[in-house]
Amino acid sequence: MPPVLHHAIVGFVVLNVVIGLVTYVTLLERKFAARMQSRIGPYYVGPHGLLQPIADAIKLMLKEDIVPTAADRWVYNLAPLAFLIPCILIFATIPFAPGLGVADLNIGVLFFLAVSSLEIVGLFMGGWGSHNKYALLSAMRAVNQIISYDLPFIFAALVPVVLAGSLQMSAIVDAQRGFWFVGAYGVLGPLAFLAFLVATLAAENRVPFDILEAESELVAGFRVEYSGMKFSLIMLGEYAHMIGTSCLGALLFLGGWLGPGPAWLGPVWFLLKAMVVFLIVTWVRWSFVRIRVDQILAISWKLLLPLTLLLLMVTAFVVAAQSAGGP
Amino acid sequence: MGETTQTVEIGYGGNERLVMNMGPQHPSAHGVFRAILTLDGETVVAVEAVIGYLHRCHEKLAEHLTYVQYPSIASKTDYVAAMTAELAYVASVEKVGKIDVPRRAQYLRVLVAELQRIASHCLWLGTWCMDMGGALGGGATVFLYAIRERELILDLFEALTGARLLYGFHQVGGVRYDVPAGWAERCRQTVDLIERRVGEYESMLEDNAFFLARTQGVGVISRALALDVGVCGPLIRGSGIGYDVRRGEPYSSYPDFDFRVPVETAGDCFARYRVRMVEFRESIKIVRQVLDGLPEGPLSSRPGVKSVGQVRIPKGEGYTRVEGARGELGCYLVADGGPKPYRLKWRGASFCNLAVLPHIIPGHKVADVVAIMGSVDPVFGEVDR
Amino acid sequence: MARNGSFLGETLQLAGAVGRAMGMTLRNFFRRPVTVRYPTIKRVYPDRFRGILALTYDKETGEENCIGCRLCEFICPPQVIKVEMLKAEKRNWAKTFTLELYSCEFCELCVQVCPTDAIIMLKTFDLATADRRELLLDKDRLHALGLAHEPSWATGNRLRDMQAPPKPVPEAKAGTPEAKAATKEAGKADAKEPAE
Repeated sequence: MPPVLHHAIVGFVVLNVVIGLVTYVTLLERKFAARMQSRIGPYYVGPHGLLQPIADAIKLMLKEDIVPTAADRWVYNLAPLAFLIPCILIFATIPFAPGLGVADLNIGVLFFLAVSSLEIVGLFMGGWGSHNKYALLSAMRAVNQIISYDLPFIFAALVPVVLAGSLQMSAIVDAQRGFWFVGAYGVLGPLAFLAFLVATLAAENRVPFDILEAESELVAGFRVEYSGMKFSLIMLGEYAHMIGTSCLGALLFLGGWLGPGPAWLGPVWFLLKAMVVFLIVTWVRWSFVRIRVDQILAISWKLLLPLTLLLLMVTAFVVAAQSAGGP
Repeated sequence: MGETTQTVEIGYGGNERLVMNMGPQHPSAHGVFRAILTLDGETVVAVEAVIGYLHRCHEKLAEHLTYVQYPSIASKTDYVAAMTAELAYVASVEKVGKIDVPRRAQYLRVLVAELQRIASHCLWLGTWCMDMGGALGGGATVFLYAIRERELILDLFEALTGARLLYGFHQVGGVRYDVPAGWAERCRQTVDLIERRVGEYESMLEDNAFFLARTQGVGVISRALALDVGVCGPLIRGSGIGYDVRRGEPYSSYPDFDFRVPVETAGDCFARYRVRMVEFRESIKIVRQVLDGLPEGPLSSRPGVKSVGQVRIPKGEGYTRVEGARGELGCYLVADGGPKPYRLKWRGASFCNLAVLPHIIPGHKVADVVAIMGSVDPVFGEVDR
Repeated sequence: MARNGSFLGETLQLAGAVGRAMGMTLRNFFRRPVTVRYPTIKRVYPDRFRGILALTYDKETGEENCIGCRLCEFICPPQVIKVEMLKAEKRNWAKTFTLELYSCEFCELCVQVCPTDAIIMLKTFDLATADRRELLLDKDRLHALGLAHEPSWATGNRLRDMQAPPKPVPEAKAGTPEAKAATKEAGKADAKEPAE
């Protein structure tokens, strides 16, 4: 089989798996949130709501596609794609198990971080093309916020890279065979993981940093003028990005596919760990009120960025000291 | 005077200023309220408030309905705290007509008014946190918890009157329903549970740095401004002036009960939040005292409602005010000797409280607008009547 | 909130607050949900529940209770009741009785004034329909509803007795109409409401 065909098939399979996973993760989040709020989540569609995501998908596909007359057509129509494609593309570098991934690049982490930052372009296109004051306001806030938080995100993600000595994701997981990086060097690992989580929350526009959408003020932010399939593409993109960064967190900090049991259990462990990260993020989402945009930016520039820089420097020193002291 | 008169030009145009409409349909407008905000970047420069979307001609309607029919309509002014709204009406009719109310009825009126205050504050807390935290975020969590508690009180009211939101409990001369068997015990249990849950909410919100950052220093109503504009209720008690109608001009049988009127001096959203949280506890205290000391006796000094024109009030006029959950709710009645009022005027607490918005919102960010609106806690039935 | 000013102190306080908030959500995760899965499972309605309205028949004779006196029509605040009286020798009847349920306030005043306990409220509210004309209840429909659903405890006489207790019955010779009426009154007053 020519390698191109092989890669195409693998890519297709992974794409479908990812989209299926993302759809069902919405159900998981709804049930989890509901239980924290003393209610049951979706219950009636399918046994215990298991067919709810499918019903939602069908509903969104059948909805009327409304384009505002004053909207900038090309920008408006392309924005969901420009938003979704980077969010799905990050899954290309995530290995679910050794050898089970689309492309295990030796600059895997760099590719992930670079591509995931591209979603901001799609976001701003959506806000601008909608010709709506609310959408524009939220898109501007989003650009502000995501750019501010990408830096601490990158630095926090670089701590395991320095600890492992490689940008390749499988190499980072292999380096965690003895201990997971989340517990590395006492306080270093947990702090890095914490900074990673906070930066994820903010880069994802999740409460408490969801000033972008702020349902009670801006009513869905840059997505407000989208309906039907375009809206579902944007939602898919958001949740895909969410799952992608959860997978990255599981890989970098929680040991990826490492776990007791036979080797074929690896992907199961990996998914479980990614879900744990995702559920922590969800748990935070449903516990806090949001904070104002100037306070969000203050936290990023005044607290997170110096902290992650410091962590990175200390990690570098520690690793250098170890390798200098070792054989 | 200098502090309160601000000349703010509402700029409809210009390159930097954006005129944004927080329209009558809005997830956090607390009802139908239109605020036209003029923004300079993210800062609000001017706000123009437009009301009247819920005008239902209460005052005209009162001229066509008799004193016996109107109390169930009166509950629709402040529909979130319906018991106090009905109380305002019947108290003014009784004052103008010089009708006595038996002691048991007065105690029952105090009991339902305080339970209603607890329920209304539950709703306030839930919707305020939801506005600040998003309908799909942590705010919704607090909202669902608060509504869960409010449902317990509404279940009590349902066992008492049969209705959950708009009761028709008061009548001229007394009340219409008596306490069923086993209700007092259930009421005590509910109130104990709510006290514990309120403690949980306080611990969840109070030393939360996010919450404090959103509420402290935001929407400060200075003492002078409060007196000038004439706000009432928790707004004025959060700005350092301890005026509560239950103490200032006691009505029903409030002098029999021992409770504290909370006063905070900071004047910001957090101060008003603290005032209302203390009011939760004080209302629970009053409920317990009423249940302990409920006297026997008739429910009304007038016979039960049998005909539509049975209450006739001789000529006279008068104003009665009660402490609703939102502030001073007043009813001015002009009677002409017949079974219907000649003129009825409602003084809505939220109507006067909303007047303070153009003074305190400019200078804040858009996100603070919802926090301030929530802490003012308007109900548009009172505003537009 | 006492801020001790140091960065570490503030951070620890923030961590504590975050922990408390998240702990509370986690605690609620393990509590039973309060959802009642209507319409499969219905809530227990209290005795005095004010549901939809209905007309009743006399328990002993099976005749319609309504005497067409129109007191309910006069007292209704939104004026949704329209009654026409049919005069007869022994007692009057209601020729037509229409109630516009879509405008009804459910204030229970009509129930309160009815001298014969003819109009009552039921312990159900579930009359949702896609056509508003179905909510214009005529006399037959009202009687059918009264037979189909469970009535609320509150009837006119009970509400009036609750609001103003009946005067003590005067002594009367046995067998006279006054004594019969007195015993009937005493019998009605004994129909106390069941406990919660």
